Parts: sequence; C-alpha cells; structure tokens
Amino acid sequence: MTKYENRVIPEGINVSEEHPLKEFLVLVFGLGAITALVVLLLSFAAGWLVHFIPFSLEKSLATSSFATNNTNDVVLTKEQYEIEGYLQLLANKLSVAQNLPEDMEVVVHYVDSDTINAFATIGGNIIMYRGLVEALPHENALAMLLSHEIAHIKQRAPIVSLGRGVAVGLALASISGFGDSSMSHQLIGNVGLLTSLTFSRDQEEQADVEALQTLKNYYGHALGAESLFETLSKGDYALKPPKLLSTHPITEDRINRVRRFNEGNIGRASYKPLPDFLIQVAEGFD
Amino acid sequence: MYLDLYIFAALLVLGFFFGRLAEKRHFKSILDREQKYRQLLTFSGRLLPPGMDSADAELVGGSVVISIDYFKRIAAGLRSIVGGRVTSYESLLERARREAVLRMKEAAIAKGATMVVNVKLETSSITKGKGQQIGCVEVYAYGTALSPILA
Repeated sequence: MTKYENRVIPEGINVSEEHPLKEFLVLVFGLGAITALVVLLLSFAAGWLVHFIPFSLEKSLATSSFATNNTNDVVLTKEQYEIEGYLQLLANKLSVAQNLPEDMEVVVHYVDSDTINAFATIGGNIIMYRGLVEALPHENALAMLLSHEIAHIKQRAPIVSLGRGVAVGLALASISGFGDSSMSHQLIGNVGLLTSLTFSRDQEEQADVEALQTLKNYYGHALGAESLFETLSKGDYALKPPKLLSTHPITEDRINRVRRFNEGNIGRASYKPLPDFLIQVAEGFD
Repeated sequence: MYLDLYIFAALLVLGFFFGRLAEKRHFKSILDREQKYRQLLTFSGRLLPPGMDSADAELVGGSVVISIDYFKRIAAGLRSIVGGRVTSYESLLERARREAVLRMKEAAIAKGATMVVNVKLETSSITKGKGQQIGCVEVYAYGTALSPILA
C-alpha cells in the first residue's frame, strides 16, 4: 500500500528573501531619475521651442485670456490711474535701459489689492499689486522690481513656463497613469515639481542679474535694489520653505548678489524718493 | 506647508516598521503551528485514500483576511510601472494561504479528524478602492475532514 504523507516544503519559494527596502530604493531612485530626466528634457525643449513663437502671437494669446480675466474690467480711481501711468512711464524708461527688443512692449496693470506681490505674465503684461508698491521705500526698489519683471518678459519666461507646464504636466500624467497607486502618482508628481522648481529658481536668478544691470544703466548704480528683497521677505513670504522647495532663490542669496554687484560701484550715489502721490497712498492706508 | 509630503513620509515609515514586525511574527507563528499540526495530513486529491472509506466525512474550512501595509502598497504601485515580481504581494498571499490552511486544520482537529482530503483554496481581493487599489486579500481554504470511526 502506498504510504500517504505530507512532506515538508522548503521555505523561500514564494517569498523573496531580498530586503524590501532594497527593492523600494531601487524603484524610487530609478523612477525618480527617469521622471527628472523626462522633465528636464521637456523643459529644455519647451524653452527652446518657445523662441519660434513670435511675440505678437503671444500678445494676441494674452489679449484673449485678459478678456476673460477681470483685471481689465475693474475701473481704477483717478489716483490709481495716476499711479498706473507713473509705473508705465518708469517701465518704459527701464525697458529702454534694458535694451528690450523693439517688437516687445511692456504694459503695466496696477491692481488695488493688499497682496504683497507683482508678476509678469504672457504678452508683456506686468501686474503690480498696491500692497507691494506702497511697501517699497524708494524709487530704486520699485525700479528693481519693474526691471526684474521686464527681464522675465525679455527672457520670455511667462510663455516658457506656460509651454513647460503643459508639456511636463501631460508627460507626468502619462507616466503616473500606468501605476495603480495614487501615492505613486504623488511621488512622481513631487519629483516633477522639484525639477521644475529648479528651472523657476534659475529664471529668477537670471532676472535678478539682468535687473541689476538695468539699474546700473538707468541710475548709474544699483543702490537700493536689496530693499526690494527685504520688503518681500517681510511680506507674504514670512514662512520660508527650504531652497529645494522654493520657486524663488532664498532672500539672503539675492541680497548678497546685490551687495556683490554694488561693491566699489556705488560711490556717492543716493536713493531717489518715490513721487508724492505714491507716498500719500501708502500713508493713507496705514 | 508640504504637509502632504510629511504625512506621506510618516505613513511610509510607520507602514514599513509595523508591517515588517507583523509579517515576521506571523511567519514565526505559521512555522510553529505547521510543525504542531504535521500529524494531520492534507491532500488535494478528491478520492479517499485506501482504508479511509469508513471514516466520518465533514466539510471544514478556514478563512483569513490580511491587509498589506502602506509601505508595501507604495512599493507595489511603483513596481506596477516597470513590471516584474511584485514581492510585496507575494509575501502577503503566501501568508494568507498558509494561514487559511492552518485554520482549516484547526477546525479539522477540533472535530477529531486525522486527514483532510479534496483541499481547495479560494482567493479574492477585498478592497478595490480609489484607482482599483488592492488593499487586502481573503483566502479561504476548505476540504473534507475524515475522522476514523472508533469501533
């Protein structure tokens, strides 16, 4: 008669003996590297391809998006028109000092809001919030701010970011679409974000350098440029994320760049005060 | 700020340590109990072994539901992008199958059986939440327990 028995099955057939962390780290770093590479390649491609988009096309694109945006519909008061006109005039002078190409034109929009911010967007539009304008101590800081935004327009930064955002977003969605865990989507999304932030910081640094040169061309020195960053660091950006997670370079680095630029360069330069009507606005809101 | 990143990292670390601890303990318990119940024979064959045709036959079963930890879920998600052995699910299913068989054996022993024939296993994934994520599996082991009739 056959003997019936249950033999002992050796262990480790169905379960891998490899440490789970090893596999995990290989996957994280491998996929992270691939994602970063894809984002880098696409970002470079977007930055390169965007120069084939004429500024006039960008401008018409902006006009249609500005029509749906409310910025233009808000009626400014007489005083605010005066400020916007003053900012536009200063921006025009700085555009000349920065050698902005002939076909590019800067349009300043003054927005009545407490937000301590300003930004350049597609079509050469610069949005200046009252909150930041009235917090600046002198014209030099304001000129630094405007030059920085004009430099972004000269770099074509807004349209580059837009193209980059679409291309990178699409690619990341496709990569993470293959996984079945929402958290792996997040992981890939975060790697993509960190890589894009590097580009953002590079753009900001280039704009700072360009703006300092503009101030030098305009005033003959760049005294007071650091006041802009001091004001910004007191404002909305009081909560400081580490450099890797920031869209902008850290404030100390930016101030130090201004100091290095100005070394032995200032002589007997002095600040230029802001026009009276701007100071009155600032005091009126205190 | 970046709260989601911190929560993610914390869950990953928690999942890794608790999941690993639970798995280690479970495998130890599985090995111990498998040794303990070695006397009870189990076969997948449908036919009765010779000499058992006059035994009492009764259905016995054991089911178990096991969840994987957060760490393994992420690891499996990453693995599903590039393909290959999903080791985090492999150990989950191995534990579940062996535990289910052990519970079936315990049920058989409680009935005084010496053998279980026609043993079958059923597996199903339970949570299929957002994005069809597999959270935990159920394994059900069942068979016919044979108890010798004492004269």
